[in-house]
Amino acid sequence: MNYPFWDVDIGYGIMMAVIAVPHVFVSHFAIGGGLYLVIAEHLARRRNDLARLDYLQSLTKFFVLVTLVFGAITGVGIWFIIGLLNPAGTEVLIHNFVWGWATEWTFFIVEITAAILYYYGWKKMSAKDHMTLGWIYFGAAWMSLFVINGIIAFMLTPGEWLTTGNFWDGFFNPTFWPALVMRTGICVMLAGLFSLLVASRLKAADFKARTVRYNAVWGIIGLVITLPAFWWYFNAIPMEITETAKEMMAVPMISIGASYWLAAGIGVFLILFGLLIPRSQHTVIALVTMALGLAWFGSFEWFRESVRKPYIITDYMYGNAVELAKADDYREDGYLKHMVFRTGNDGADLFRRSCRSCHQLSGYLPLRPAYDGTDAEFIAGTIRGAHVMRGNMPEFYGTDEEIETLAVYIDSNIDHRHLSEIYGLSGVALGKKIYDIRCGKCHVIGGYNDKSESILGLTDEDYHDLLDMAGDLAEEMPPFTGDDTEREALIEYLKSLGEGGTQ
Amino acid sequence: MNLPDYAFLSAPLWLVTLLHWVTLSIHFICMNFLVGGIIIVLFGGFDDRWNNPTVMKFVKLFPSAMAATVSFGVAPLLFVQLVYPNQAYSASIVSGWLWLMIVVVLIAAYYFLYGSAFAKESARSRIGIYLSIALLGFVYVSFVYSSVFSLAERPDLYQLLYSGDQSGLVVNPDIGAYIFRWLHMIVGAITVGAFFVGWLGRDDEVAFRVGKRFFFWGMIVSMLLGLVYLFTLGEYLAAFMNHPAIWLLLVSFVLSLASLHFFFKKKFLPAGLMVVVSLVSMVIVRHSLRLILLNNFFDPSTIPIRPQWSIFIIFLIMFVVMLALIWYMLKLFFAGAEKKA
Repeated sequence: MNYPFWDVDIGYGIMMAVIAVPHVFVSHFAIGGGLYLVIAEHLARRRNDLARLDYLQSLTKFFVLVTLVFGAITGVGIWFIIGLLNPAGTEVLIHNFVWGWATEWTFFIVEITAAILYYYGWKKMSAKDHMTLGWIYFGAAWMSLFVINGIIAFMLTPGEWLTTGNFWDGFFNPTFWPALVMRTGICVMLAGLFSLLVASRLKAADFKARTVRYNAVWGIIGLVITLPAFWWYFNAIPMEITETAKEMMAVPMISIGASYWLAAGIGVFLILFGLLIPRSQHTVIALVTMALGLAWFGSFEWFRESVRKPYIITDYMYGNAVELAKADDYREDGYLKHMVFRTGNDGADLFRRSCRSCHQLSGYLPLRPAYDGTDAEFIAGTIRGAHVMRGNMPEFYGTDEEIETLAVYIDSNIDHRHLSEIYGLSGVALGKKIYDIRCGKCHVIGGYNDKSESILGLTDEDYHDLLDMAGDLAEEMPPFTGDDTEREALIEYLKSLGEGGTQ
Repeated sequence: MNLPDYAFLSAPLWLVTLLHWVTLSIHFICMNFLVGGIIIVLFGGFDDRWNNPTVMKFVKLFPSAMAATVSFGVAPLLFVQLVYPNQAYSASIVSGWLWLMIVVVLIAAYYFLYGSAFAKESARSRIGIYLSIALLGFVYVSFVYSSVFSLAERPDLYQLLYSGDQSGLVVNPDIGAYIFRWLHMIVGAITVGAFFVGWLGRDDEVAFRVGKRFFFWGMIVSMLLGLVYLFTLGEYLAAFMNHPAIWLLLVSFVLSLASLHFFFKKKFLPAGLMVVVSLVSMVIVRHSLRLILLNNFFDPSTIPIRPQWSIFIIFLIMFVVMLALIWYMLKLFFAGAEKKA
């Protein structure tokens, strides 16, 4: 609550992804590519393969232009964007890991210097000295990953640090080693896939076949490393995190499911067009293979980011920067009293602090469709129970008065027409929509917190009674505030379930 | 809930401050080479400049200077965010879009530098266009930096600005408070850039003459701009005049003038040392001014210290290893280049 909130018209998730996704792709390629170059140079020099050496020299230029410029500056961009989107979370990381970052910076400087000299040294240096630079580059780049991996893994699994606050407990956290092995595999795989793309444009048939096959082997080795490493990684995550994700959140599980298919696709393309018929390796095929690889890597990062929800640092700070250590203070004083930056519109300020990190009113993970056709009383009820909703959201620790203020603010931004008018529905279809909006956030039929068994086969009177006392059934449960038409449609829908109707 | 606190410094403040000064000074030297170098290459009045060996040496070196500028800029930014998180983040959030666009501008400028360094002989006429675009980018970056960091020294102002506009499109409106600071930085970059032009072009009469002209006039103008900036401090000027940093300013002033003498005599080692010491002094003066301006709002010496010596020592060892490796790699590179030549 110590910082202003950047109210940008784009979802925070998208803002972060626009900079972080290209950076992680390029930065991993920068490490694997360094290893690829120096090993390939070593082999080419041993065999006096001049064509391969020319190819490697041109590849180095591409490598330098991609990694030194785009990779390095987007790395700085991550510094910028995390400070803009979550300064409090960044502050926690910097205060605890500043010397880790400073150490990583020394590797970064060595890496950049080595890359520049390696590129300019192709024609100027002896083979031995040039390869020495290549090895220094790779060593520094991988050590840079080693350090950053500790800090990134900490955010998901802070482990013993939560009780000791010790640097090393946080750094060598439960997912450190599996994540390091996994990321090393990704580096190797991306080196293979990027170089495959360059090789696909080669003209000379024999040389192209050799090069494509060699690059495909890199891709396959990387893929083979990552698969068991991911299994290890998944199992190193505390079970309460993965079980909660399975129960409440669709995204992490979807991303894992997608990763299986993507890995299979990469494997098939690499074996078929890389090993079996390398001469047929067309640029389009190489592009598709690389796209699959990036999507696969993306699905891992997507999993890592989403399974951490609702935290930015697990069990320490929520994604909206609310600190668990201050929960009691917030319960007692409310959020507003702790906000250093206010705008004069309390509802908007509460919305920014509590919801806006993940949700926009319209746009990214929008709230309007979730609340259109409802009212402030219902919205207030859902805010009270935010932490039990599917999607795994943080608890709202503010006061009752702040809940009302926030609800009124959201209510002033939604569509107040009747749901039947907004969606053009009636009967059971309208009832299903009402269920989705008013009940489905916490009770998914056939899924999360399903209560349908207990409400099937009731009489109309029972359903009316149930809706009348909905707000009293649990503290987190909002009252049913719909009108008679909504009530009838919802009951009609619930009855249809008992008759085996639409889910 | 008994969770670890994070409002602490993991090394004594003086140590963090020292590292901040060292890394920021290196960053400024690299940045001055780059920005000052580009300005002099473009506006130095070289005849047939794209065939001038000194000019082309600079053009080839600009991408590496950019890499060094960025790399050595990361550390001081980290240390500033460590000690002044509230000020640094708050000011950058108020100007969020302008701040973030620095990343896009830097990527574009960097590619234009490579475009000029890789330009074939037949396409050398494009170098001027590429460098001009890169320079425009750097002017943008430097202005936003001055705007944001001067805003960071005014907590009352950024709080007021935020309450009126949360879009992140706010430029620090108190331009009078930082326009001379910004101009001082730009002209200072030209001065240091001119030193490098004169040094690297010491055997090239034209280059040395150009370097000398820009070094002399840059020095005079940057000093005047610096003085004007001091007068814009208003109520804080008295505090600054009573601060020990005023002596450093004097040292910097004397050393800068003395460096002119040695530069004109082509004694680059003493001249360069004086320029470096003068620049480091200015970094310290800048830091002292920040403390004076923030005096009513924040005192970094109140932050609790909880040292993490083990990782700090690893950092120090790696810092030394880094320097050794850079020296070793440069030795390998230039030894190889000499042999091939």
